[in-house]
Amino acid sequence: MIEVKQISKKYGRKTILDGVSFTANKGEVTCLIGINGVGKTTTLKAIMGLTPYKGEILIDDQKMTNNSYEKITFIPDAPTMLPSMTVKQAMVFMEDFYTSWNPQRANQLMGFFKLKEETPISELSKGNTAKLNLMLGLSLDVDYVLMDEPFSGIDMFSREQIADVFASHLIEDRGVIITTHEIGDIEHLIDKVILLDNGKVLKEFNTEEMREDEGKSVVDVMREVYQS
Amino acid sequence: MMRYIKLVNFEINRFSKIYISLLLITLVSQLVGVIIGTKSFLNRALDIMLEEKISEAAYVTNYGGIDFTQIANSLWFQGPIALSAVALVFYIFLIWYRDWFGKNTFIYRLLMLPTSRLSIYLSKATAIFLMVLGLIALQIIILPMENALFNSYVPESLLNTEMSTSSIVKMNSVLNLVIPSTFTQFLLSYGIGLMAMSILFTAIMFERSFRIKGIILGLVFTGIAAALFLAPVFIMASESFYFYPNELFGIMTALGIIVTGLSIWLGSWLLKNRVTV
Amino acid sequence: MNVNTREPVYLQVVRHFKEQIAIGKFVAGQEIPSRRELAASLNINPNTAQKAYKEMEEQGLIHTERNFPSQITTNETILQAVRQELILAAVDSFVDAIRPINVPVDELLQVVKEKYSEEIREGEEK
Repeated sequence: MIEVKQISKKYGRKTILDGVSFTANKGEVTCLIGINGVGKTTTLKAIMGLTPYKGEILIDDQKMTNNSYEKITFIPDAPTMLPSMTVKQAMVFMEDFYTSWNPQRANQLMGFFKLKEETPISELSKGNTAKLNLMLGLSLDVDYVLMDEPFSGIDMFSREQIADVFASHLIEDRGVIITTHEIGDIEHLIDKVILLDNGKVLKEFNTEEMREDEGKSVVDVMREVYQS
Repeated sequence: MMRYIKLVNFEINRFSKIYISLLLITLVSQLVGVIIGTKSFLNRALDIMLEEKISEAAYVTNYGGIDFTQIANSLWFQGPIALSAVALVFYIFLIWYRDWFGKNTFIYRLLMLPTSRLSIYLSKATAIFLMVLGLIALQIIILPMENALFNSYVPESLLNTEMSTSSIVKMNSVLNLVIPSTFTQFLLSYGIGLMAMSILFTAIMFERSFRIKGIILGLVFTGIAAALFLAPVFIMASESFYFYPNELFGIMTALGIIVTGLSIWLGSWLLKNRVTV
Repeated sequence: MNVNTREPVYLQVVRHFKEQIAIGKFVAGQEIPSRRELAASLNINPNTAQKAYKEMEEQGLIHTERNFPSQITTNETILQAVRQELILAAVDSFVDAIRPINVPVDELLQVVKEKYSEEIREGEEK
């Protein structure tokens, strides 16, 4: 379980996070939604130890250490490998540094996404860059996967492929946190929703319970919360 | 430990194209310098001897002969050394900033490696230090070759003295700095170099952690580090206290080690706890 | 399976299974996919598949013996009831839709009869 407890963050005078708390369970997909762009990515970075913050974050009851990066991975929405590398070289790099690298899964995903090993990363389209990021991140045998806006700025067919991978490869007993500003493609895949606005959690709910108890979709709830 | 070595290897590979170019430029420029320098001297000497109808011995008495120090002082010879030095100092900054900027933000990957942030910090420092040593090694290897080439070119009668490699180094302030002849000198040149690099790295970490405020903090830190290291010199300059050379050397070595250690500790602490991707 | 985002997904999966049973795609005693396979094939969350299987166990539609894949029940009464339930559910929503128009029952039945046989004929021709 990832526990985010009362975290706050400021950039200069601007408040990005103001006492955000939530938990994300293993085996569930937790979705951080915020229309106004603020705070989602910062939350993921804070969990990953990529930016300082006030408050506490625990991963399976422990603080983040170097070895946590074998257990939890982050897939940002920008390429994280050198443009001069080829896809193959990026895979070799991952294999070199992570004991949790799973080459079988990497090959499977390479095939599924139709990526070619010899392609230089600098020549990948936006959609293929997202797929490469996903392939690299999901090929680690980790317990938790954090994804930042996996669907933004990507063509429809790539989005469908990525959503497919979600169900077949991503979840598999892992805890997943994803951020998004539009829920579209994955609404039915999400277990839990956290609505953020102005650095605060506005509402937190379980999607199936919301459908069962109130007959509302995630978009219905978003409409209520953000338009009131 | 394995990951640290892999990181060093990775960092060196990333700079390898430019680095190999630097090595080649040094090699070619210095060899060209030896040939051109010698040729132009010989041509000039020959012209004068023909014009004034004097012998080689008389030419040497009147105008002076040639020796390798003249070659070593030429731009062809020292230019590439300066170029390499500038490139590596520049790379001290680039080695960090290139990971943050540009379309691909490699810093995400780097900081998410299952290795301590200290090894990331040290791997970059090690890479630069090894590259400096590599350039020095090249200079040490090619200097005797250049000297031999020079000696075979110039007729003995026009040569002031046939110099040994070590006396060439001693006679030239730049070479003397980069190729230390005693252990003390080695400590001075490279110890101070390493210290300066760790201070710069830490100043960069300040900037990456606190941005504009960080630049000021970085400058303040650099000032404090320099003041600490140079404190005994200031004390002596104020004539309130006198150190024997041995004492001064000992104190400054100790201070240098402290400042370097402090910089590395602070820099890697910032990288671990304060840096924002 | 088309997902309706306002209705619990696990109930939609249960209905999907009932339809498969009603049209005979799943027969008594047949092994059903693992929850992971189901999740991948329907493009849903494995938790949802898990919950759907639990619901179906509770309704007696499937049963699982320790360490074996789940199977469709062999209880004919339950299987018949599934068919009955689907028919009733469909008729219910049809009645809900037609009620405001106030059609006399006989006329309605006549139209239904014609339409339905037409649909079946067209279906068979294809």
